Amino acid sequence: MTMFSQNPLMNGPNYSFSQTPTMASGANKEHSFYPYTDNGGSTLAISGNDFMIMAGDTRSTSGYNINTRYSPKVFKIGGTTSSQDDATLVLSVVGFAADGHALKEKLDAIVKMYRYQHGKPMSVKACAQRLSTILYGKRFFPYYVTAILGGLDEDGKGAVYSYDPVGSYEREQCRAAGAAASLIMPFLDNQVNFKNQYIPGSGEGHALVERAKDPLPLVVVEALVKDAFDSAVERHIEVGDGLSMMLITKNGIEEKFLPLKKD
Amino acid sequence: MADRYSFSLTTFSPSGKLVQIEYALNAVNQGVTALGIKATNGIVLATEKKSSSPLIDPPSLSKVSLITPNIGMVYSGMGPDYRVLVDKARKVSHTGYKRIYNEYPPTRILVQDVARVMQEATQSGGVRPYGVSLLIAGWDEGVEPESEEAATADEGPEGKKPTGKTGGILKGGPMLYQVDPSGSYFPWKATAIGKSATSAKTFLEKRYTEGLELEDAVHIALLTLKETIEGEMNGETVEIGIVGPPAHHLLGVDGVEGAQGPRFRKLSPQEIEDYLTNL
Amino acid sequence: MSSPFAINGGACVAMVGKDCVAIACDLRLGLQALTVSNNFPKIFSYGDVYLGLTGLATDVSTVSDLFRYKVNMYRLREERNIAPSTMANLVSSSLYERRFGPYFVSPVVAGIDQKSGKPFICGFDSIGCIDFAKDFIVSGTASDQLFGTCEGLWEPDLGPEDLFETISQALLNAVDRDALSGWGAHVYIIEKDKTTKRLLKGRQD
Repeated sequence: MTMFSQNPLMNGPNYSFSQTPTMASGANKEHSFYPYTDNGGSTLAISGNDFMIMAGDTRSTSGYNINTRYSPKVFKIGGTTSSQDDATLVLSVVGFAADGHALKEKLDAIVKMYRYQHGKPMSVKACAQRLSTILYGKRFFPYYVTAILGGLDEDGKGAVYSYDPVGSYEREQCRAAGAAASLIMPFLDNQVNFKNQYIPGSGEGHALVERAKDPLPLVVVEALVKDAFDSAVERHIEVGDGLSMMLITKNGIEEKFLPLKKD
Repeated sequence: MADRYSFSLTTFSPSGKLVQIEYALNAVNQGVTALGIKATNGIVLATEKKSSSPLIDPPSLSKVSLITPNIGMVYSGMGPDYRVLVDKARKVSHTGYKRIYNEYPPTRILVQDVARVMQEATQSGGVRPYGVSLLIAGWDEGVEPESEEAATADEGPEGKKPTGKTGGILKGGPMLYQVDPSGSYFPWKATAIGKSATSAKTFLEKRYTEGLELEDAVHIALLTLKETIEGEMNGETVEIGIVGPPAHHLLGVDGVEGAQGPRFRKLSPQEIEDYLTNL
Repeated sequence: MSSPFAINGGACVAMVGKDCVAIACDLRLGLQALTVSNNFPKIFSYGDVYLGLTGLATDVSTVSDLFRYKVNMYRLREERNIAPSTMANLVSSSLYERRFGPYFVSPVVAGIDQKSGKPFICGFDSIGCIDFAKDFIVSGTASDQLFGTCEGLWEPDLGPEDLFETISQALLNAVDRDALSGWGAHVYIIEKDKTTKRLLKGRQD
């Protein structure tokens, strides 16, 4: 194999693992640089009446390789200490991990600055708008991530804001993102928003009365999150290893870690 | 190659007969007698292994053949023609069935396939009919749920009278067929083909009873053969194949879920000797 | 969007219950984003066996007719209904026959073996590789979504009524997240000597 030969007489340097094209001199070479990678994984956020849960698996992949089994995608945002103990917001990022990390750092810095300058934590509504602006700021070289922002709104209700990579956002009851979003989302529709559930005998066909959207208690939502991830792990190779969860209530943010299947 | 100007050698005589087929039957009727008896829990196929010279090594000669794990075959007539049919039967059981359904053909399906091969030799150009009659014995797994295990020998204590009815695609169980050079085939409870077929069948008619068990059937088969056999009767001159309970010792593997041993197997000379001493 | 499997859209799912199986499909037929019909069932009955076909609609029709012919011939030849496992192998060998020019379908077989009374389901790729599953099989453009809903909702040993509810919710919620599937559904609940067919309305968009 000439690929690793380090032969100075060969056409080009040989110190790289990537093969240098060896072709007739004078022929055109096409060089390309693709700055993005998909690092897999999935995130999920569900809001309740007085709480919200943000969760994400901790596996990081490139292709069929596992880079690490512990690389969290869920972060506290805008605390005043390095431990982020007094943070009130959480951000999850899934997609290209480097961009996700950069985005988290940037948002964290901005929210911190806001807190120093205004002497109060940023509201989730304000932070949501700010995050959109950050993402749109890189409209033509986007952060390759699907972000979800969570916290409690002015009324103390759980708030979930979901984003596309360029800043389009929406407040929702719940949202799944990342590699297994297509698996988790319809399950959430059914179990959180009671989609396709009707009161038996309440009518014929489309005249059926929908099941009332009673707010779910935290224990139920937590169980749903675990179930959703267990399902996703079962059927998606990019999801697994560990589940990092943040439970946001008026008492602050509780962090939880649960093991997921590692296969 | 021979599709042009190649005409069937089997043509009607003015009286409406296909004399080539009758000649083939004559060849069969000069053949060594072979017989088959169906029992409630299996079938026996038996024939005499005649050698023209004392120098022949008898164990290397085989007239009873396994076609699929649950189906065996014996013949009377021309040995070379038989071997061709064995090859074709084994082949068609795979190409026409196992490779499609991943299971072996039921006995009737295989019989029809072999019968088709034989019929085609009566209507095709440039060929002659096969000079053999076959006895094909097999066991079919039925499709109906086994309600009272009627198929598996041991009659329940309810004292249900054993009927002679066995086999059939719905119920499952043993099946015995005869196939002739014309391509016609018949299901039998017991029959014989070859030189002494007529006398053997008369004998079988006397000895056959409904609700026969395999062990009795082997016994009757040997008695029938004894009436017609010309030379000495021992483990080397008699060949027996049986369709019986799954022979797990022949499976070759252990611990495979759902794996079943072959129901068809040939009796060893020693086993035949054992039966003969008890005759 | 030029995959032949995703031109017409459609979804199918089969599940095992206690002494019963269920198979369900959506009813949409489309040409990419345009919905052409909302009454295009993708489940076909062959005696004791049910075959679900998703993928290219022309192949769905062709393959369903091909198996109608093959199963009828089987029944005439063998004087018996085809067993689900036999059907599975027939589907497999028939698809592999077209190894280098496949039918663009993802079949699903469901039924109860009349001899043993055991539920049987399996799925295939377009060239006949069989996926024997103990729980559920999904196929079609909503297969990702179905994997999620089935994995989340299915549990072992569901009775016929619970199995009906489970498969219906799994299918309806999955197709609601797939633009190419939906417009109502057919659900078959197969028990040893009874099959119940139900028509589900579902979202009409």
